Amino acid sequence: MISAQHLTKKFGNILALDAVSFDIAPGEFVFLTGPSGSGKTTILRLIMRDLKPDAGKLVLAGPAKIHEYRRTIGTVFQDFKLLSDRSVFENVALPLEVMGVKPDDLQKSVKKALELVELTARTDLFPAQLSGGELQRVALARAIVARPKLILADEPTGNLDPKTARSIVNLLSTIHSELKTTVLMATHNADIVNHQGRRVISLEAGKVTKDSPKGKYE
Amino acid sequence: MNKPFSLAWQRIRRSPYQALAAVSIMTMTLFLGSIFFLVAAGSQAILTYFETRPQVNAFFKSDLVPTSQAVELIKANLQSTGLVAEVKYISKEEALKLYKDLNKSDPLLLEAVTANMLPASIEVSAKNPADLKPIADFLKTQANIDDVRFAEDIVSQLAIWTSSVRLIGFSLVGSHLIITFIIILLIIGIKVANRRDEITLHELLGATRGYISAPFIWEGVIYGATGAFIAWGVSYLILLYSTPFLAGFLVGIPILPAPFWFMLSLLGGELLLGAVIGAVGGFLAVRRFLKV
Repeated sequence: MISAQHLTKKFGNILALDAVSFDIAPGEFVFLTGPSGSGKTTILRLIMRDLKPDAGKLVLAGPAKIHEYRRTIGTVFQDFKLLSDRSVFENVALPLEVMGVKPDDLQKSVKKALELVELTARTDLFPAQLSGGELQRVALARAIVARPKLILADEPTGNLDPKTARSIVNLLSTIHSELKTTVLMATHNADIVNHQGRRVISLEAGKVTKDSPKGKYE
Repeated sequence: MNKPFSLAWQRIRRSPYQALAAVSIMTMTLFLGSIFFLVAAGSQAILTYFETRPQVNAFFKSDLVPTSQAVELIKANLQSTGLVAEVKYISKEEALKLYKDLNKSDPLLLEAVTANMLPASIEVSAKNPADLKPIADFLKTQANIDDVRFAEDIVSQLAIWTSSVRLIGFSLVGSHLIITFIIILLIIGIKVANRRDEITLHELLGATRGYISAPFIWEGVIYGATGAFIAWGVSYLILLYSTPFLAGFLVGIPILPAPFWFMLSLLGGELLLGAVIGAVGGFLAVRRFLKV
């Protein structure tokens, strides 16, 4: 699914990634951990094809054209990135609108996604009317609505209280097992990582320090 | 098309003052364009009218009815100069008919005139306006010709006037179009900047450049089309209002009232121009924020 070999990325004089290598197979759930500035978001942006590596090779499964490739991935952000002037339903429908899905199919898919994140009672509300946990669940619904092969989650629990954060990760875990979606989640929440007991790729100063199948946050 | 258009309309409604500014500048420029176009088209029509009119009129003595041999001799002499495009003899009866046509709105003038009072004449069109004077001089030497009149400089003066109107119009309207384009670019640019996060999100979700650009392009088209329609309406109203005055001023020159199809063509041209300016402005405003 994803194969990174000796990936290097610089921002000016700052070395964000230093010869990072890892492979992620289809259907895996992987935590990308490390302190702020360790390179987690840079890896996700490289996988989103929002950045290009300065050196090394990144092999990604999917179409060659960027916009077509991005339609095969779902993305969740720490700041939710919901459109404030659109309702919950409209926010979740965005990826399908972009893909030009027919209105009937769009309605069904959005409804299913909202059922999965248990937000069917909030469809007509706007982001300003929702709690932090609900906002992230809307973002999750938006990420899964087009049935992507890969979900990239960049610190999705960063703005949430511990209980809500755990419920969001449990939801991601449910989606992963029900939809067989590959999940790559960047986090520095040790509690969540340790509780899940999944593969962990640890980063520090742009280098992979550890890659363990059932790892702990260190 | 529906979705981008409705999004564009929604954004316009949410920022009415920016929309008002955009439509106002578009209206002003296209109104200026309409006025110059109408003046240029009117000048051209007047020029064409004068170009197709006989340019030299040679009047026989009013108490004389010229014989056909005398008329044919003058015609033949004129044709032999090689300077003449067309020669036409106007009899006293035909002169009266022309007089009646010109003064049909004034019965008093019609009552007082008979065919015998009017002179027969020869109308001559020159191949080249520069030859009007030699033709007039030639006609003065012909027997029984009492008076020769020719519009020595009217055509060349009109040609200069028409080309000046076009030049000034093009310069003024052109410079206004550039200013309008920059303002539209600025207004839509502000909106694009305000929606930078939304554009980034759309890009991350796999939107194409066309999908992201379309609402902004439609926004420009709406500004342009609205401005064009208002400008056209105002200029048409002004033209209709001033038609009686202008028709009196241009008596005998059949260019007013302006035909409706002509005004519709003007509307079509303005809509196209406004829409293109708006669309290009919208496209360029959003283009610099696109990364995909």
